[in-house]
Amino acid sequence: MAQEAKLSHTAALILQAINAGFVYGFSIMEMTGLPSGTVYPAMRRLERDDLIRSQWEKQSIADAEQRPARKYYRLTATGKTTLDSSRRRYPLLERLIPSDEVKQV
Amino acid sequence: MNRFAAWICSTIEGNTLRCTSLLAPAQQRAEWRQEWRAELWHAREATRIGEEITWKTEWEMLRFCSGAIQDALALRRLAWERRETHSAFHGSAMECLLLLSAILTASYSLSLVLPGVRAESHPSLYKVNSDLILIQDALANDDSLATIPIEKYKVWKTRRQRYFDGFAFYRVAREVVSTRVAANERLHVAHGSLNLFWMLGLPTRLSAAVGEAEGRTPGLILSNEVWQRNFGADPLISGKMVKIGRSEARVIGVAPPGVWRLPGSVDAWLLEKDNANIGVGYVIAHLSALGKSEMVARRVQITPSNADDPDEELCGISFADRTKGPFGFFQFTIFLSFLALPAITSVSLGESNFCSYRPSWTNRLCRWMFLSTKIALLLPTVYFASLDLAYWHTMTYSIGAQYVQLGSSFTMSLFGLRWIFLDQRNRCPVCLRRVTHPAQVGLAGRTFLAWNGTELICADGHTLLHVPALPTSWFDTQRWLYLDTSWKFLFAGTSVG
Repeated sequence: MAQEAKLSHTAALILQAINAGFVYGFSIMEMTGLPSGTVYPAMRRLERDDLIRSQWEKQSIADAEQRPARKYYRLTATGKTTLDSSRRRYPLLERLIPSDEVKQV
Repeated sequence: MNRFAAWICSTIEGNTLRCTSLLAPAQQRAEWRQEWRAELWHAREATRIGEEITWKTEWEMLRFCSGAIQDALALRRLAWERRETHSAFHGSAMECLLLLSAILTASYSLSLVLPGVRAESHPSLYKVNSDLILIQDALANDDSLATIPIEKYKVWKTRRQRYFDGFAFYRVAREVVSTRVAANERLHVAHGSLNLFWMLGLPTRLSAAVGEAEGRTPGLILSNEVWQRNFGADPLISGKMVKIGRSEARVIGVAPPGVWRLPGSVDAWLLEKDNANIGVGYVIAHLSALGKSEMVARRVQITPSNADDPDEELCGISFADRTKGPFGFFQFTIFLSFLALPAITSVSLGESNFCSYRPSWTNRLCRWMFLSTKIALLLPTVYFASLDLAYWHTMTYSIGAQYVQLGSSFTMSLFGLRWIFLDQRNRCPVCLRRVTHPAQVGLAGRTFLAWNGTELICADGHTLLHVPALPTSWFDTQRWLYLDTSWKFLFAGTSVG
């Protein structure tokens, strides 16, 4: 619980964006309005703390859409728990990025 | 903006990413680059307005790419933190010994390069015969002062002596030295008796055989520094004529660096007959068998018999202090450091309090061997590093260099020993790894009521170290707690002994 309480607003915002379906770096940047120098290092730390997990998209899907393969991020069980407590800590979080705004990947 | 400009921009971005990827850890570099290439593609697609590429979009792309530097650095930082937490090598006894060995190797390698240190490392060059003493006026409290007139030296030389069987004389004066190749320069020239170098047993280089006719001209021995500076290190210098003041002298050799340890700073030695010498200087005397038996201390009183002046008092001073060499100073500073060490840190290592467990004798032996090895590595490191510092700027022996060696050797040995003892106290007695994860326990205001201090744990799960914040009568020194098998589950993945 101590780790959850220490989560910064930026990290909570990124978790909320991933939960809302913005699952790769640039889409998170666009959604949160944070610069690349903040978003990517924050995601590395979240992954280190086991709050998110990354996975490469299948190359065949990327080839079909004629673009490079993306690295997708998703919340872990710990990440979801942490996000719940962060929402209580930052009530505006859900209003900034509503969870029902789920994107199809 | 045309296509060519767009191609240049994308090339710059691609190369920026490639260069930035070097900041990321090697194992993650390929994946990092792949992710950022993909992200860059998406960023470019999102910022493009139709087919048009503008400066604004390129500026945004550049800002996007600048984030890659922060990301790569963050990744490196995380890898470093992971290394610190998980590496078996980190904090181990082997790491400590390798680090000390590396410092020793570096300081020794540097000492091989510095000419001043190389000269100091050969005591045979500057050691003078132990049967020689410097005769001085007893009223002079500084042995670097010239006190004996040459007339007295001449008298002593001619009279039969009981305690001495040979004398040499020299005086130092500033003279204008001129040659055909070098410009006139004022140098410190020692006007010495013909037997000066022979009596002191000092070596010379580039010496040439001197014929009878040439022997009438006074011989000049140059210091290594002057030979290099004023004569361009000419290997054929011997036999060349040099003008000193109004008289001429023939170069008969070059003294190796650092050989001269007697009073007076000298650039060249002019060896001439006694009747050509005038003034006040230094007298070196060779002790006879009787004289050696009377030389009981470094400084002895000499009462001249048949002296013209009945109140004359002389003393004989040994050269032992002047030709002690750097190792003598080093030994002295090490002795001082061991004396001063208890004033700056506790030297006790018997603070362990194992209630239910006592380390095996092999563990205890390893611990003591580790401590001894650290000290054994520190001492030569201090010796070479202090010499490196002392002779960094100077090529030859000087009093200033000796002071630098004394000061640096004492400081480095004192604080080095302090670090060794502090390090030893923070190493697990079982595996010799440094204890980590310090946790502050208790409140300072309740020191006398409850436990207040820091707890550290062995990363391999052998021991827990309690360090009191303030020594109290019931907890005055650090204590080790052996962790039994019930703690094992906390250290899954590490080897618990």
